[in-house]
Amino acid sequence: MRQAPVNRIAEDAVKAWKITGAIFAGVLWLITIGLFIVSYLLEFTYWIGAVGILISVLCSYLFVFLLPILRWRRWRYEVFEQEIYIQHGILIVSRTLVPMIRVQHVDTKQGPILKKYKLASVQISTAATTHEIPALLEEDASELRDRISTLARVDEDDV
Amino acid sequence: MFKAKRLHPAAILFNLIKTVREFLFAIILGFISFRDESMFYFLLITAGFLVLFIITSILTWYRYTYRVEDDELRIEYGVFIRKKRFISKNRIQSIDLTSGVIHRIFGLTKVQIETAGTGTGAEASLSAVKMAEGEALREELKTGGAQQVDNTDTADEHPEQTNPSQTISFKRLFIAGTTSGSVGVILALAVAGFSELEEFIPNSFYDNTLEWVIGLGIVILIVMAIGVLILLWLLGIAGTMIKNGNFTITKNHNELFITRGLLEKKQITIPLKRIQAVGIQESIIRQPLGFVTVYAEVAGGSMDKGEDFSSTLFPIMKREEVEPFLEIFLPDYGGIQQELTPLPKRARKFYIFRASIIFLILTAVVGFWNPSFIWMPLVLLVGSMILGVMRHRDGGFHQHGEQLTIRHRSFSRNTIMMYHKRIQAFEKKQHKIQSQQKLATMRLSIIGSMGTGTHFAIKDLEESLTDELGDWYSYRS
Repeated sequence: MRQAPVNRIAEDAVKAWKITGAIFAGVLWLITIGLFIVSYLLEFTYWIGAVGILISVLCSYLFVFLLPILRWRRWRYEVFEQEIYIQHGILIVSRTLVPMIRVQHVDTKQGPILKKYKLASVQISTAATTHEIPALLEEDASELRDRISTLARVDEDDV
Repeated sequence: MFKAKRLHPAAILFNLIKTVREFLFAIILGFISFRDESMFYFLLITAGFLVLFIITSILTWYRYTYRVEDDELRIEYGVFIRKKRFISKNRIQSIDLTSGVIHRIFGLTKVQIETAGTGTGAEASLSAVKMAEGEALREELKTGGAQQVDNTDTADEHPEQTNPSQTISFKRLFIAGTTSGSVGVILALAVAGFSELEEFIPNSFYDNTLEWVIGLGIVILIVMAIGVLILLWLLGIAGTMIKNGNFTITKNHNELFITRGLLEKKQITIPLKRIQAVGIQESIIRQPLGFVTVYAEVAGGSMDKGEDFSSTLFPIMKREEVEPFLEIFLPDYGGIQQELTPLPKRARKFYIFRASIIFLILTAVVGFWNPSFIWMPLVLLVGSMILGVMRHRDGGFHQHGEQLTIRHRSFSRNTIMMYHKRIQAFEKKQHKIQSQQKLATMRLSIIGSMGTGTHFAIKDLEESLTDELGDWYSYRS
């Protein structure tokens, strides 16, 4: 728990997150534009729109430029024979231990944005929790999935 | 039991009640909004729906058959789409019998069968069968065979220590009721109910009453208010007594068997190996009196089992009675409780801050807009700060061998005892200020009753101790 896990996730993760952030920011901008149109048509005050711009600018900066990089820097993982060790979180750093014998199943997941960069995320589920290692290179992800699933088969404990 | 059987016809009634209850909100809403002109049509439509419900209920009942065959419980059901569900005998984790008031009038019971699955409902639920039939079914489906059931049924007549059993005494039940704290809930309900009722009381009557009440003067008003409170309190006691009356816990082999309820009789089975953690809860009212509730976190139960997602093992007992109780019923958890390592002193400010921040803002806002009412948020602010101090004082843990005990408070103080092998994941969380102060939050996850997991967090532990616990949990060391 004292040392951080050693492995980083794929560098392209930043790009993928930036796109996701951009889509989110785009929606905000659309809403802002919508607000202006509505204000214009109904002759409202433009204050609401101005607040909208402020929020959009702030969110664009946060979600497209700042947070993806910070998030990537923090994200680390390490897979041992007996357990999986994950670190993530920007403001609140969280380090999680998941014992192999508690792992119920492992999934790999890939949305369109991750696919574009040949990335995939690995989801590890126990009977009580789900943990995700996001944005690994495709081959790393499937290799990791197979490895965890082999290691997880070690013990059959009662539920 | 090879012949396919139908449920008792009363199942139609239960089915109907269930459907109507689901639509009750819509009906009430409709009743209120169509009160005037289109009442007739509304009633017509409602009646139409009711007929529909009755027909579907009858069909559902007619189509629902069950039988025990080849060591399986086989249920066939479905009106339009015919469905079959086969549950293998050795997959069954528990069989619960519940008899509601209507059930008891007809001498029936509801059988709920659960497997290890993590669904929200029971795996199979026979809404109404004859009591004897239900018990026979339970006997039939139990893998362990008939002798277990025999033991529970005759436990009272044979005082041998083979099946330890403990029943709540009337006095304790009464104390449980008086300290249940349900007064507040009932009060809220009463207020809400009254404001709805107001609509239907004619204005003149209302005004007259109000005049009359004001005429009575302040003293009588206070007396009446106290009277209402006492009434609500008594209702709370009655509620607890009805719910927990005859609470009996029996242990046989590797199961706990719980019966409770005066009107609605519930029988619950908890397999010992499914218990993930055992907790001791001390509510704010009960703690000074030295009374506690013992409960268990059980994996993979269903929603119907308990209102707070965990099963009560005993509703009320003295704190010092917990140890002997655990020794008898859950020897694995006996003797776990020790003196806990408290939270570091410098964590206190975080606790006070977290508990009071909302009220601090509230106080500032009220102070700014309406200074004459500032005493209201101030009282809350002081209260929340005290709560923060209490939370800090009560937080702690003790780790010994494979056992871990943690204690925390939201309102009630909870002491939770668990084993290393029951913990599914361990998490250490830290924000900037915490890491500067060398504090960390620890979060433990165990299997919960809903398949979602139950999580316990102890905030602001000494960081080095959190790391030590992490090492203890780690399978590498």
